Amino acid sequence: MQSSHSEIITRVRNFIKDNFLYMHSDFQLGDDDRLLEKGVMDSMSIVEMIEFVESEFGIRTTGDEIAETNFGSLNGIARFVSGKRTALAAHS
Amino acid sequence: MCGIAGIARRYPTGVSPETLGRMAAAIRHRGPDGYGYYVGQRVGFAHVRLSIVDIAGGSQPMTNEDGQLVIIYDGEIYNHPELRRELEQLGHVFRTRCDTEVLVHGYEQWGSAMLQRLNGQFAFAIYDRREETIFIARDRFGVRPLFYSQPSGAFYFGSEIKAILASGEVDAGVDPRGMDEVFTFWGARAPRTPFAGIASLEPGTYGIWKDGALWLRRYYELDYPEAGCEPTDVVEQLDEHMLRSVGVRLRADVPVGAYLSGGLDSSITASLAAAASPDTLRTFSITFDDPKFDESVFQRAVAADIGSIHEVTAIRANSIAASFPDVLWHTETPLLRTAAVPMYHLARLTRQCGIKAVLTGEGADELFLGNDLFKEVQVRHFCLRNPGSVWRERLVDRLYPDLMAHGRGGEFWRRFFLDAGARSDPLFSHLPRFLLGSRVKDFYSPEFRAGIGGINVMAELRASLPARFFAWSPLNKAAYLEMTTLLASYLLSSQGDRMGMAHGVEGRFPFLDHRLYEFSAALPTGSKLRGLREKEVLRRWAPRVLNPRISSRTRQAYRAPDAPSFFGPGSPEWVGDHLGDDALRRVGIFSPPAVQGLVRRCKAGRVTGFRENQALIGILSTQLWYQRFIENRVSIDPLPLRGASVVLDDGVSVPA
Repeated sequence: MQSSHSEIITRVRNFIKDNFLYMHSDFQLGDDDRLLEKGVMDSMSIVEMIEFVESEFGIRTTGDEIAETNFGSLNGIARFVSGKRTALAAHS
Repeated sequence: MCGIAGIARRYPTGVSPETLGRMAAAIRHRGPDGYGYYVGQRVGFAHVRLSIVDIAGGSQPMTNEDGQLVIIYDGEIYNHPELRRELEQLGHVFRTRCDTEVLVHGYEQWGSAMLQRLNGQFAFAIYDRREETIFIARDRFGVRPLFYSQPSGAFYFGSEIKAILASGEVDAGVDPRGMDEVFTFWGARAPRTPFAGIASLEPGTYGIWKDGALWLRRYYELDYPEAGCEPTDVVEQLDEHMLRSVGVRLRADVPVGAYLSGGLDSSITASLAAAASPDTLRTFSITFDDPKFDESVFQRAVAADIGSIHEVTAIRANSIAASFPDVLWHTETPLLRTAAVPMYHLARLTRQCGIKAVLTGEGADELFLGNDLFKEVQVRHFCLRNPGSVWRERLVDRLYPDLMAHGRGGEFWRRFFLDAGARSDPLFSHLPRFLLGSRVKDFYSPEFRAGIGGINVMAELRASLPARFFAWSPLNKAAYLEMTTLLASYLLSSQGDRMGMAHGVEGRFPFLDHRLYEFSAALPTGSKLRGLREKEVLRRWAPRVLNPRISSRTRQAYRAPDAPSFFGPGSPEWVGDHLGDDALRRVGIFSPPAVQGLVRRCKAGRVTGFRENQALIGILSTQLWYQRFIENRVSIDPLPLRGASVVLDDGVSVPA
């Protein structure tokens, strides 16, 4: 099942809100906001989020791919996931 | 070692034996071997005794020859025989063999200057009946506790806050600043406590109360006169210090045992104690069901090496939650970690085995730069000197190899440390820990957050730093912060004194001998942390007393299971009660929807990181603490006059 860019963003945003922003009910997380800023998430939460992204969208990440460009913002994640899924579809 | 409490009134309207009796009863656990009172018109003293030196003769309160000075005291003065000889030569006459008497004659002779001559751990109060003053003092590093309150010119003090509250004359309220400090520094920094209007006497400080006013003065300052290079005989000097430190701390009329964690520091203290002890040493350890926390293999190895009689207390999955409320009764403060709970069990075991005093290794990490935090400081400075150097940043990974094991975290982990603050910030070394702890504050209710308003406890800490701090090297700045925040405000109190004395067990700290402290503080930091090798000079010396296998063992920080202990099968029902909306609203500090989010994640087993673990423990402990101390009055039946071993009053005459 292909997910659109915005659908990926929505699902990841919901995960982050439910698991890391539940104590800030008014917090608006923008698509390009840096997740590590202002203590929204820390290194352990990033690890948890990566595990969620892998299982939710059926992809695998390598150590080198765990970088700010790919996981630093909702847009970054959506681009990364889309790219991975496109590559997977091309190879299958 | 013992418990003390007292009251001084602005005017001589009297202090009732019943009031003193309640104060004594509240801290009876600190002194199960006897108790005594001084009941005067203006001042009342209560003392509960843990008999360790001069069992027969050392009851308190005690006076000088003419009864003008009355003392109550909690602690040990390790050089008391030498001080006694000096005072006898100056004409003082002693009736007992105990260190208490040395204090009262020492004060007679030298006044507050006596404090510089003491080698020990102490908190005491001396009432001068002619001058109508009360002199209070606390040891250099904060080993023994002393709290006080001054509502309307009266003066209340006690080894524990519960003694002050038990008087029935001081109200219990929340100090939002104190709470905020607990959630930032792991413990409120003296003079602050989580209780409004109740203060903690700072370490290295004495006070004089007279006519309704308390004057405080520092008599000891932590200093780091770092030498350019280490002395050529540094290992010899260290050897002398260690042998002397342990040697004097074995002075007692009861057997002294030792805690054994399996790590370098307590292995050292236990080994030295075993060698110097007249009897076979008794050692005591904590074991965990969960192998992540357990160190029993190493503990047994050391015990076998030194030939001690070794006992263990096993911490199971549900032990932590079951004991948590009792632990909080003793710590008198919310906590961010559960590490104090196994120490509570350990002290109980020790007492059950008939041992009243133990040597233990606290202080070594602060003196010899053992904590991971010090390595972090090195690495962070190194990286920030050349930002963008990937090679330098990889060093951060070496600090936490477990986390890096699956290639997880990577760049983000490094970012957390490297973005935690500017190198120019005096609190640089501690910002990651302070920022992590204060995630609990994300859960504050809007009302509590508004009430805190302009409070900034980190800014206050910065403002309190002495001028000489700014000339020290980064590692010594970190060491100073560690001594004054973590050690004094949390390790020595909540994990140390409070847990030991809950069961009448006195802790003795060879690494906190002030002469050893001064020796280590003058060493170049490279002698202590060389690259990423911590406690370097201590490890160089350690083969003299330890099997090399132990002295070269990698450090494992002491931790206990946190959030998971409170959820899952077998967890107590009160956890849910205290974290429910009604309870949260009643206490008013935390926001119910925020806490429910956290509880949901705890129940799902998702709380694995420090941040949420600390938040959960912080919230739950606050709820329990509030109910125990704020909502319910501390109300206790008094220890009756007739059972006291000593009762003095204003007609006091010198006992025969």
